[in-house]
Amino acid sequence: MRAAYILRRLLYSAAAFGISVTIAFALLHFMPGDYITQYLEQIYVIAPPEIVRAYNRVYGLDRPLIEQYFSYFLGVLQGDWGYSLSYSRPVLAVIGEKLVWTLVIILPATVLAIIVGIVVGAYSGWKRGSKIDLALLNGMIFLRAIPSYWLALMILLIFAYYLGLFPLGGYVGLSALDTGIDPLDVMNHAALPIFTLFLFSVTGTYYLMRNSMLMTAGEDYIVTARAKGLDELTILRKHALRNAMLPMVTSIALECAGMITGSIFVETIFSWPGLGMLTFEALKVRDIPLLQGILLIDTLLVIVANIAADLIYPLVDPRVEVGDGART
Amino acid sequence: MPGRSVSFYISLGVVFVYCAVALFAPAIAPFDPFAISGSPLAPPDAAHILGTNDLAQDIFSRLVWGTRATLILGFLGAAISVALGTFGGIVSGYYGGRVDEAIMRFLDVMMTIPSFPLLLILTIFFRPGIYMTAVLMGFLGGLQGVRIIRSQVLSLAVADFVVGTKALGAGDGYIMARHILPNVLPLVGVKFIFSAQHFMVVGIGLGFLGMGDPAVVDWGQMIQRATQNGGIILGLWWWLIPPGLAVTFLSLALAWFGYAFEDRINPRLQVMRV
Repeated sequence: MRAAYILRRLLYSAAAFGISVTIAFALLHFMPGDYITQYLEQIYVIAPPEIVRAYNRVYGLDRPLIEQYFSYFLGVLQGDWGYSLSYSRPVLAVIGEKLVWTLVIILPATVLAIIVGIVVGAYSGWKRGSKIDLALLNGMIFLRAIPSYWLALMILLIFAYYLGLFPLGGYVGLSALDTGIDPLDVMNHAALPIFTLFLFSVTGTYYLMRNSMLMTAGEDYIVTARAKGLDELTILRKHALRNAMLPMVTSIALECAGMITGSIFVETIFSWPGLGMLTFEALKVRDIPLLQGILLIDTLLVIVANIAADLIYPLVDPRVEVGDGART
Repeated sequence: MPGRSVSFYISLGVVFVYCAVALFAPAIAPFDPFAISGSPLAPPDAAHILGTNDLAQDIFSRLVWGTRATLILGFLGAAISVALGTFGGIVSGYYGGRVDEAIMRFLDVMMTIPSFPLLLILTIFFRPGIYMTAVLMGFLGGLQGVRIIRSQVLSLAVADFVVGTKALGAGDGYIMARHILPNVLPLVGVKFIFSAQHFMVVGIGLGFLGMGDPAVVDWGQMIQRATQNGGIILGLWWWLIPPGLAVTFLSLALAWFGYAFEDRINPRLQVMRV
C-alpha cells in the first residue's frame, strides 16, 4: 500500500516535471515573434539574415519541431538546460550558483517560521477566545494582508536606510574585495531578507496550527485526558500538541511554493543574489532559456519538498500507513 | 460579536472609496498621469501633493489612475477564478467516480508546478495587457479553487433533497444549477473576496517585476520605477511609499471584509474563531 502510494506520487511528480518541460519548450517556440532575431537586434540594430540563420542552425532551431522537442526533453534530463544568452553560460551552471544563495535565506526563514508558527499557533488555539489569542489572530491577519514586496521595502527603508542597522542590499560588503567573503558579513546582509521572508511565511504556519489546534482541542481523547485529572500543561504537551502538529508536515510542500514566490520579491528588493533576483533579471532582459530553467528548478524544488513531506509523515504519525484516504 | 460587524461596514466602506476613486479618476487627478507636469523629483508642495517622479509625472495623479488597474486586476481575476473553480468543483463533486478521479489527478499534477513562476512565464508568452493578466491569474487561481468547492459539493451530492430531486426525474444540469449551486454560493462569495485581494497583490507584484502593461498606470510599475531609479538611495519617501501603502490598505480592507463576511454566513465559525 505504502509502496504503491509513493510510486503514484513519484508518477505525479514526473508528470508535473514533464508538463513544466513542455511549457518551457512551448514558451520559446510558440512565442509570437522570432526570439533569435529579437535577441540579435539588441546587438545589431537590424539583424543580418545570414547571422540569424547561423544562430538558428547552431541552436538547432531549423529542425522539425517534434525533433526539437524530444532533443530538448532529452537534454533537460541529461543536465543540458540550454544556454543563457545574458550570462553567456550554461543555464544549469548559473542556476546552481544562485540556488545556494537562495537556500541561505530560505532555509533559516522556513525553519524559523515553522517553529514560531507552531508554538504561537498552538498557544493561540489552546487559549481560544482569550484576549491574547484575539490579538495574535488579528495581528496575523493584518500581517498576512501586507504584500511581501511592500513589507520588504518598508523593512529596508526603516532598518537599513533610516536606522542604518543593516546594509542596504547585496550579500557582502566592500571589504570582501580585500579579505574575501566573511560569513559574519554575509549573515549581516542576510538578516533582513531572512526576517522579511519569515514574517511573510509565519502567518501561514500560525493560521494552520491554530486551526489544527482548535480541531484537536475538541477531540474526545482531550476530554478523557482532562477527566483523568491531568494538568493542562501535560494535556497540551503530551496529547494536543503532537496530534495538532500533523497537518503541518503536509504544509511543508505548500510552504515551499510560497517561499519561491516570496523570495522573488524579497531578493529583488534587497539585491540578494539568489534565484529570485535571477528571475527578476531574466524577466528584465527576456532571457528565455534562463526563464525556462527557472521554471524547471522551481518545479523540482516543490517536488523535492513534496517527497520530503511524504517521507516525514509516517515518522511523525506512526498510525498512518500512508494510504489513499489519508489526504484526499 | 459586535467588533466583527463594525469591521464589516468599515472595510466595505474602504473598498467603496477605492471604487469611487477608480470611477472618478479623471475628475480627481489634477494632472494627466503620463504628462510632464513640472520639474522631476520635486518634493510634495501645493501643486503636487505627493511630488513628482523622475519623469516629472505627478505622483498623486498616477496613484489615482492606478486604482483602476488594481481593481480590474483583482475583481476580473477573481470573477474568472471563482467561475472556473465553482464549475470544476460542482462537476467534480456531483458526478464523482471517473470524472472526479480524472479532475483530481489532473489537479494533483498541476498543483506541483509552482503557480507564480508559471504565471510569470505565461505572462511573457502572451505579452499581455492588463485584461490578459487578469485572465491568466484567474485561470491559475481557479485550478486551486476547484478542491474547496468540490469538498462542499461531495456532501451535498448525497444529501436527501438532491437524491429526492433526482428521484423525481430532474436532470443533472438542473440539479447542479438549481440545487447545488445555491448551496455553495456563500462559500463562493467568500472565495471571491479573498481571491480579489490575492490577485490585486499579485497583479501589482507583476507590475513591480516589470511585467505590467506599459500603456496603463499601475501601482506595481510605480513601485518598480521608484526602487529601480534611485528612490531608495535618495530616500524619497513620497515616491516609494504611496503606491505600496495604497495597495496595502486595500488588501487589508478586503481581508477584513472577507473574514467578517465569512463569519456572517457561517455562524459556527464565530464560535471557532473567537
